[in-house]
Amino acid sequence: MAQEETYLNPNLDRTISLDSTLLANRKSRNMMAISPATNAVLNILMIIACLLTLIPIYVIVISSVTSEAALTKNGYRLWPEEFSTMAYTFLFSRGSIVITSYINTIISTLAGTVLAVAMVGLYAYAISRDNFKFKTFFTFYAFFTMLFSGGLVSYYMVTRQVLQIHNSLWALFLPSAFSPFWVIVMRTFYKANVPNEIIESARIDGASEWRTFLQIVLPLSVPGLATVALFSAIGIWNNFFNCLLLVDEARYYSLQFTIYTTLNNIRFLLENADKMVGLVNVSTLPSQTFRMAMAVVTVGPIIFAYPFFQRYFIRGLTIGAIKG
Amino acid sequence: MSVETSSVAEPVSKKRKGWGQDKIYTNLSYLTMVLPGAIWLLLFAYLPMPGIILAFKTYRLQKPPADFWIQNKFIYSLIKSPWVGLKNFEYLVLPSNMESTITYIRNTVLYNLLFMVVGLVLSVALAVIIYELTNRFWAKLYHSILFLPYFISWIVVAYVVYALGSANGILNNLFQAIGWQPLEVYKLKSAWPVIFLLANIWKYTGNGSIIYLATITSIDPELFEAAAIDGATKWKQFVHITLPHLIPVIVLLQILAVGRIFGSDFDMFYTLPNGAATVKDVTYTLDVFVYSMLRSGAPVGYPAAAAFLQSIVGFVLILITNYVVRKTRPELALF
Repeated sequence: MAQEETYLNPNLDRTISLDSTLLANRKSRNMMAISPATNAVLNILMIIACLLTLIPIYVIVISSVTSEAALTKNGYRLWPEEFSTMAYTFLFSRGSIVITSYINTIISTLAGTVLAVAMVGLYAYAISRDNFKFKTFFTFYAFFTMLFSGGLVSYYMVTRQVLQIHNSLWALFLPSAFSPFWVIVMRTFYKANVPNEIIESARIDGASEWRTFLQIVLPLSVPGLATVALFSAIGIWNNFFNCLLLVDEARYYSLQFTIYTTLNNIRFLLENADKMVGLVNVSTLPSQTFRMAMAVVTVGPIIFAYPFFQRYFIRGLTIGAIKG
Repeated sequence: MSVETSSVAEPVSKKRKGWGQDKIYTNLSYLTMVLPGAIWLLLFAYLPMPGIILAFKTYRLQKPPADFWIQNKFIYSLIKSPWVGLKNFEYLVLPSNMESTITYIRNTVLYNLLFMVVGLVLSVALAVIIYELTNRFWAKLYHSILFLPYFISWIVVAYVVYALGSANGILNNLFQAIGWQPLEVYKLKSAWPVIFLLANIWKYTGNGSIIYLATITSIDPELFEAAAIDGATKWKQFVHITLPHLIPVIVLLQILAVGRIFGSDFDMFYTLPNGAATVKDVTYTLDVFVYSMLRSGAPVGYPAAAAFLQSIVGFVLILITNYVVRKTRPELALF
C-alpha cells in the first residue's frame, strides 16, 4: 500500500529519520565498555586528529597577527618573530570593499535563511500530511530535482536572461533559499516528531490547517527548523558560486568572493612581478597580513555562533529528540 | 498509510461527503503551503531543464519579433537556433581537445571515487570511536572540534593552502631550513591529489559521521550486551551488529553519491589551486571545465555539451544503481 502511494521507498524515512538522541541507550554501557587501554589509545588518536584539524585555523589566525616586517623577512612561520594587530586596525578603519561585501553578505544571509526556513518548513509539512491529496505529486516534484538538472550552462542562461536576478543582492541568496534535500529531511522530522493524534485533535477542535501548523506543529519543530536555519545560514554565508556566476558589479560582491579575488589577484601579481616591472608597484598591494585578517574576519562570526547553535544541531541532526 | 482518510473502501455517500467543502479547504490550505517552494523549484530547477537542448544547437542570440508569444531573448533564441546534432560533442573529442577532455573526466571520476571510499571509511570509524569512548564529555568535545571545519568556507581554505604551500609559505620555509627541496604547490602537480584529499577529509569527516553516529546510538544496546556475554569481541560486534544497522544509510548515501560522480565540489576545485594554470591537469574537474569554457566566450554549445554529459550520466547512473539495489535488496532502494 505504501508503495502505491509514494514514489519514495518508505525505508527512506527510516534511514534519514535519525530517531535517537546521542545520550539515549546508554544505561547499561559500563559493563561492556571498552578496556581502559583501548580507551586511552582512542583518546590519543582523537587528540591528534583534533590538533591536526585545528592547524589550518591556527595558521590563518597566526598569520594575521604576524607583523608585516616579519612576514616580508621570513615568510609565513608557525610562530612569528613579532606580533602586530595592525592588519585588523587597517581592516576596520578603511577597507570599503570589505565593509560593502560584509554588509551584502549579512543581508543576504538573513533574508535567505528566513526564506529557507519558511519555504522548506511549509513545503515539508504539507507533504508529510496523509490527508493532502497531492502529497505524492509534490514529493516527487521536489525529489526529482535531486536526481536531474538542466546543467550549469542552461542554469546560467536562465538565471541571467529569464529570471534576470544577476547583478543584484537577490543573486546572492535566492538560488540558495530552498533545498529539496532539507525538504525530505524535514518531512521525516515532522512524521517522527509531531504525533498525528495532536494534529487530528486540533482539526476536530476546528482549527484550520494553517492555524494547526502555526500553533501546534511549529513549537514542536524548533530543533528541526533550527537545523535548517543553521545550514542555510552557513550555506549562504560561505557561498561563493552564486556571486561568481551571477554578479559582475563590485557593489554586490559577497564576502567570500571578495576575499577570493583579493588572494587571487595578488598571487598573480606577485608571481609575475618580474615581468611587469614598472607597471605594478608591489609594495602598494594590500599587505599579506591584511589579507589573512580578512580571512579571519570571514570565519569569525561562525566560530562565535558555533557554541550557540551546537546544542540545536546535536538534537536537530540526530533528528527525533522526542521519540523514545 | 493513510487509512483514516482513504475513501476507497467506504460507501458512496461517505465518499461524496469526503469531497465536501471541508476537504477542498484542507487541500487548498496545503497547496498554499507548498506554493512558495513549488514556485522556487519551477524557476530554479525546472525552468533550466529544457535548456539542456543547448547541447544540440548552435546558439545564436536573436531578438524575438514583436508578435512572438514570449518576449524573451533567451527563450526565443533557444527555440530558433538551428539543430546541429552532435557537432558540439565533436568539439570535445577533436584531436586537440581529446586529451584534456579525457583528463578532466578522469579527474572528476577518480576524485569522486577516492572521496567516496575514504569519506565512508573515516566517517564510520569516527562514529564508532566517538560512540565507544567512555568519557562522554571528551567524546563530545572531540566531535565538536572535528565538525568545525564543515562551517569554514573553501575560500578560507584557499588562504590556508597559500600560507602553507606558497613560495614563502610555512612548509617551504620549513623544508629549506632542514635542507630539503623547495616546495611551491602552485607549480607542483603531484601535490594536488594529496591537498584535495586532505582538504576533503578535513572538511567533511566530522559532518559525515553524524548520520552514522545517530544510527549507531539508535541500536538497542541489549544487542551489544548479549553479544558481549556470548564472548563476541568489539570487532565481531562491529561486523555483526553495527555494520548491518549502518548498511541502509550507507547504501542510501552511496546511491546519491554515484549520481554526482560527474559533478564535483566546485568551490574546492576552483578556489584551492587559485587559478594556477600549471596544475590544471590535476585540478580541473568537469564542473570547472564547463564553467571556464562558459566564461571564455566559446560558443555556448561547447560547455553545454559537457554539461549535458554531466546531467545525463549522473541521472542514468543513479537509475542503474537504484535498479541494481532494488533487484538485490529491495528494502534498501531509494525509490
